[in-house]
Amino acid sequence: MSSAAEARFRIQTPPPTARAIAVIPLDPDSELLVAKLSEEAWGGVTFLPASAVTDLIRDLSADLVVMVVAAGARADAAAVIGEACSDRRVPTAALLVRAGAASDAAISRTLAEIRPWSLMVVIANDDDYVKELLRSYR
Amino acid sequence: MLKKEQNDLLTQTGPGTPMGRFYRSYWIPALLAEELPENDCPPVRVKLLSERMIAFRDTEGRYGLMDEFCPHRGVSLWFGRNEECGLRCPYHGWKFDVTGQCVDIPSDPTNSGFASKVRLQSYPLVARGGVLWTYMGPPEQQPPLPEWEFAMVPASQSYSSKRLQECNWLQAMEGGIDSSHVSFLHRGDINTDPLFKGARGNQYNLGDLRPVFEVVESAGGLYIGARRNAENGQYYWRITQYVMPSFTMIAPRGNHSVHGHFWIPIDDENCWAWSFDYHPIRELTEVELAAMRAGKGVHARVEPVTYRPVANKDNDYLMDRAAQKAGRTYSGVEGIAMQDASLQESMGPIVDRTKETLVSTDSGIIMARQRLLRAVKALVDDGVVPPGVDLDHQRVRSAAVVLPPEQPFKDGAREAMIARPGVAPASV
Repeated sequence: MSSAAEARFRIQTPPPTARAIAVIPLDPDSELLVAKLSEEAWGGVTFLPASAVTDLIRDLSADLVVMVVAAGARADAAAVIGEACSDRRVPTAALLVRAGAASDAAISRTLAEIRPWSLMVVIANDDDYVKELLRSYR
Repeated sequence: MLKKEQNDLLTQTGPGTPMGRFYRSYWIPALLAEELPENDCPPVRVKLLSERMIAFRDTEGRYGLMDEFCPHRGVSLWFGRNEECGLRCPYHGWKFDVTGQCVDIPSDPTNSGFASKVRLQSYPLVARGGVLWTYMGPPEQQPPLPEWEFAMVPASQSYSSKRLQECNWLQAMEGGIDSSHVSFLHRGDINTDPLFKGARGNQYNLGDLRPVFEVVESAGGLYIGARRNAENGQYYWRITQYVMPSFTMIAPRGNHSVHGHFWIPIDDENCWAWSFDYHPIRELTEVELAAMRAGKGVHARVEPVTYRPVANKDNDYLMDRAAQKAGRTYSGVEGIAMQDASLQESMGPIVDRTKETLVSTDSGIIMARQRLLRAVKALVDDGVVPPGVDLDHQRVRSAAVVLPPEQPFKDGAREAMIARPGVAPASV
């Protein structure tokens, strides 16, 4: 049976899947990237500045928290965010960007800080994947 | 989630489509060598990338893959007589060699030489590693022959199979890089399948049912790492290789053979699922081979000639609800291959990716799609040779390793993920 013929009998109304996603950068470079992303229209995605960690964990209503960090950057906040999310059963993901330009040692440093607090880690050579990943998570 | 036009772009592989052009950049598996077992054996119908062709092996052992239909009146050359270095149409005797060149038109009494002006579209067909490979792109852009390790080791160290999968290639391939389903769908098989059981690494699987995933770009595609807790604060990594467009290689277990797949479009709603098992440094044992032939591991029992799985949609994949309830299988379907295929076929002939609800553990799939979309665009817009054509992208291995917690696995397993003859695979 062709895809079109088969699809005729599928219920066409997709289930409601509006999800609240909070995106927070962990370092200055990522903050610029996240700020640029926030200029577009996103449904259900809240972009926070790096300084908003306290606000984030105080009012943790997101379905997913995405931490963005540049390879080699310090990611101390990951532990604070991760612990709060773990307590409240909010899944976390970490996007490590600009890995293509970073040394293995630099990537190691950042990974050591984000790995314990992320259910999913994506190491991307450039920034462009961040937008697509966020679009897919919505 | 993809937009409709993105889904169409990735799933349509017929002539003239962008993804079709992408697939035509590579050598792809076309037949098992066993399908053309001897010189002048019967021809075999082949459909790949929505093109119908006929494959044959001539009197001198040369392989041919060409348009299925005689250019005279459109008859299928499957009825052809394979004799004296050519395939002769039984309708009026037109004969073609393995390059598709017409070499005889008996009904032309003047022997005018018209035959020399008649040529069927044909593609090279080459044997390597028990598989017959073809390249369907422009002849002047033909890449070097493939060098996937399973096809380069001695025949006694490798086994390949194929099965028909009745869905689009992409949803099948996505299952191959989706590590997160293993803990559910294949839960019953890790410690019972003869090709997996007994490995020390299995204890990490069973001791930590919530792996964490890490996706890293590679030159040829992606590495997908699944991380579990090991002793002394270390991590046990199982690293899958994904090389475009559809090669995957799964991390080994213990001293078992290593396995992987290709998914090759037949048309937009069907594909061939190719599976290979090999060991880089030893022969496969008779016990292992018997298990593979019996459909264990990543292989499946198939019907002769059609290679359609014995468990298929027409018999509900031989569903066993008692086994499902008893926990012997998670879905009620037996065998890793059909556990995957049954669910992937149930998504529909071409799954509608505009209606998905992806989560963060789907990041490997999301990244693979984006890598493919970019690579297709680069090929179509700028003629950039796709990742995976370069032989260095093919000389790769998967790996299972234990590493310190802060170490990137791309760094810690770097050497292990390169195929080196005579070097044992990295396995736990």
